[in-house]
Amino acid sequence: MEPRIGVYVCHCGSNIAGTVDVEKVAEFARSLPSVVVSRDYKFMCSDPGQDLIKNDIKELGVNRVVVASCSPQMHEPTFRRAAQDGGLNPYYFEMANIREHCSWVTESRKEATEKAMALVRAAVRRVYYHQPLEDKQVPVHPDTLIVGGGIAGIQAALEIANSGHKVYLVEKEPSIGGHMMQLDKTFPTLDCSACILTPKMSLVGAHPSIELMTYSEVDYVSGYVGNFRVKIRKKARYVDAAKCNGCGTCMTKCPVKVDSEFDEKLSKRKAIYTPFAQAVPNVTVIDKEHCTYFLKGKCRACEKFCERNAVDFQQEDEVLDIEVGNIILTTGYQAFDPTPIKEYGYGRLDNVITSLEFERMVNSAGPTSGHVLLKNGQEPKSVALIHCVGSRDEKYHAYCSRVCCMYAMKFAHLLKEHVQGTQVYEFYIDIRSFGKGYEEFYNRVQKEGTVFFRGRPGEVTDVAQTPAEKGKLIVQFEDTLVGKQRRLPVEMVVLCSGLEANKDAQDIAHTFNISLGKERFFTEKHPKLDPVATMTDGIFIAGCCQGPKDIPDTVAQASAAAARVLALIIKGKVEIEADTAFIDEEKCSGCRVCNLLCPYSAISYIEKDKVSRINEALCKGCGTCVAGCPSSAIIHRHFTDEQINAELEGILL
Amino acid sequence: METKLKPSFLDEVASIPACGKINECVQCGVCSGSCTTAAHWEHPPRKIIAMVRAGMKDEVLNSSSIWYCVSCYLCTARCPRDIKPANIMHALEAIALKENYRPPTKTTTMYRSFARSIEQNGRIYEFGFMLEYFLKTNPFAALKMLPMAFSLLTHKRMPLLPKAVKGRHQLNQMFHNITTGGSR
Repeated sequence: MEPRIGVYVCHCGSNIAGTVDVEKVAEFARSLPSVVVSRDYKFMCSDPGQDLIKNDIKELGVNRVVVASCSPQMHEPTFRRAAQDGGLNPYYFEMANIREHCSWVTESRKEATEKAMALVRAAVRRVYYHQPLEDKQVPVHPDTLIVGGGIAGIQAALEIANSGHKVYLVEKEPSIGGHMMQLDKTFPTLDCSACILTPKMSLVGAHPSIELMTYSEVDYVSGYVGNFRVKIRKKARYVDAAKCNGCGTCMTKCPVKVDSEFDEKLSKRKAIYTPFAQAVPNVTVIDKEHCTYFLKGKCRACEKFCERNAVDFQQEDEVLDIEVGNIILTTGYQAFDPTPIKEYGYGRLDNVITSLEFERMVNSAGPTSGHVLLKNGQEPKSVALIHCVGSRDEKYHAYCSRVCCMYAMKFAHLLKEHVQGTQVYEFYIDIRSFGKGYEEFYNRVQKEGTVFFRGRPGEVTDVAQTPAEKGKLIVQFEDTLVGKQRRLPVEMVVLCSGLEANKDAQDIAHTFNISLGKERFFTEKHPKLDPVATMTDGIFIAGCCQGPKDIPDTVAQASAAAARVLALIIKGKVEIEADTAFIDEEKCSGCRVCNLLCPYSAISYIEKDKVSRINEALCKGCGTCVAGCPSSAIIHRHFTDEQINAELEGILL
Repeated sequence: METKLKPSFLDEVASIPACGKINECVQCGVCSGSCTTAAHWEHPPRKIIAMVRAGMKDEVLNSSSIWYCVSCYLCTARCPRDIKPANIMHALEAIALKENYRPPTKTTTMYRSFARSIEQNGRIYEFGFMLEYFLKTNPFAALKMLPMAFSLLTHKRMPLLPKAVKGRHQLNQMFHNITTGGSR
């Protein structure tokens, strides 16, 4: 059947037509070989726009379709469907991107029009050689892997598990809980953070559909949407989780004291420990780096006193292979370390502390039993809270961390509550209290007597210039609303650190084959309309690994990711594009180069036929084997040499 | 007091190299909070930037504040938006001189005497430089400096005659390029 090509040039309102002479492009397309009709239209993606295509297929016998509009990421599915509705195979369609690749990035109208014409010519030449293909369906494994056991991971796990589907929840620390467990109260309602989190934690621990793997990490992921194979390494705890009942005798007997990570090094834990009392699972773990037995070969006090013989020094890392259909990453964030900001003196000046240190200090289960104390053991009579530490600063992180304004105001409230008569000062640039009940909380804190100074302090120093400043920390700043430089002596300074991407974010992204943005947060598929999906199908993200956010937003995102996963599980199958590769066995020399190149392990060597063969259910159509084959024996459907050469000629002519 | 605003003033300042980011200032005040002399400024550096953006050209260029910058660059080191406030202050000084605003300080005379001393000798000639400064401002004020001058003389820290560097013509060429090559 001789190709009869229809070309449709989209104005996209003024997005394309504002820069590209669309009528001229349509007229040019009419002159190209095999083109039987060429039109321009205001919005090709609208129903009337799609009807143009369908009508021309029926009335003019169009059997190849080219739409020159936006990126195929946006509307390729729309136009393929239109072609299909008109009665064509959807792969008889080609898209020329004259918006993202042309009108949006070109200033001169003449040049943009020329480029649009070249792109249309390339698409017309390519579509001439298109072949009909069939999408294939693959089943979706009903199990789900969730990586990261903070509030995001807990929420997503419960949402999915409550539908009766199995969830593997992997957490690298000995207990789930994440950063939320470290917080004292939550703004603006002042709920006790642990009180609202621990019920969810114990639900996770006891849930019949959740397999909890703490102290574990994901080593390797292969496969594709619906069918991932994952290797999980359960690090050796040196405590048998089946025997340990969390009585804690081992912890009391262990002679080694180590800085507690959970308490931000403000208290000590033992070398055999649970991070905190409500740990889930309530199973201790031996910190090999500090344990006397591992360092010196003797001690074993924990083993001697354990009534259940749960301590097992012979334990080794265990690697588990699991199969899952979908993966949700909820790997969270780390707090910005303010040490590099020398002028604020963290690590150099006593009583300059970080926000997480303050959270632990003010918590009744924390190292000071809820008393806010200076290094000398006394309560501070005045405290400065400095906002935007490491945030909104091009030298560290240009973005706003979104939670610091609110938690700083929460600190002000807690200080007034915990320390009688203390004076609290907030140093801010802008107050960002955008959530439900947040502005009201700001007002409440003002009513309680906290003084707000608008100005990012220049420095915190202990060098006194007047007798009143002696022995104090002096915050030097400009009260920008008055326009005067001031020095304010206080007894304690809390640096309200921002949130940043985890230091191993790059490795995680590499393992799961997803991308990172400039600030190393995971990139969502679409910032507005697809905020929990990634460019890799079947892998979703939620919580602070995607960007700084507060608890309500994190929980909402986790539930959204769970909904996306459940949709796939319930449908039970997923359509995979037809652009896979196959081997022309006449040409295959059986060299097996492709076997090693394939990132999806889709190619195997067939001994009896002395050729390699591709498992099309596993092939993702990446094209690596096609380029690597020394005999040019591999053909990539929808990316054949003929099609690519025709497209190149179209651009270069 | 009614002020006459000149909205083009922001563009004028922003077009000067190294002042181009003035419109990105978020008015956080870390410059004024860090400034070693801002306690004495009528308008702290952050406010000067706001006044430039508001088009308050006469107030800015007549203000003594812009002349108080001692180029310690703490503001520039700490600015979260890389505005480079110290460069802006010096650019404003240059505009003030070019457009014959009369700076309310003696700093210009000091700068000019200093520059002339360098121009003539390729290095600072303290005695001549201070002499010129006091003659042009208040010769009697020099009396107060006499004990220090005497001390410097006796310790041979201040020669009475100038000492020039080698290669003066190269230096002259540099000055020539700077003064004729525009604001760059």
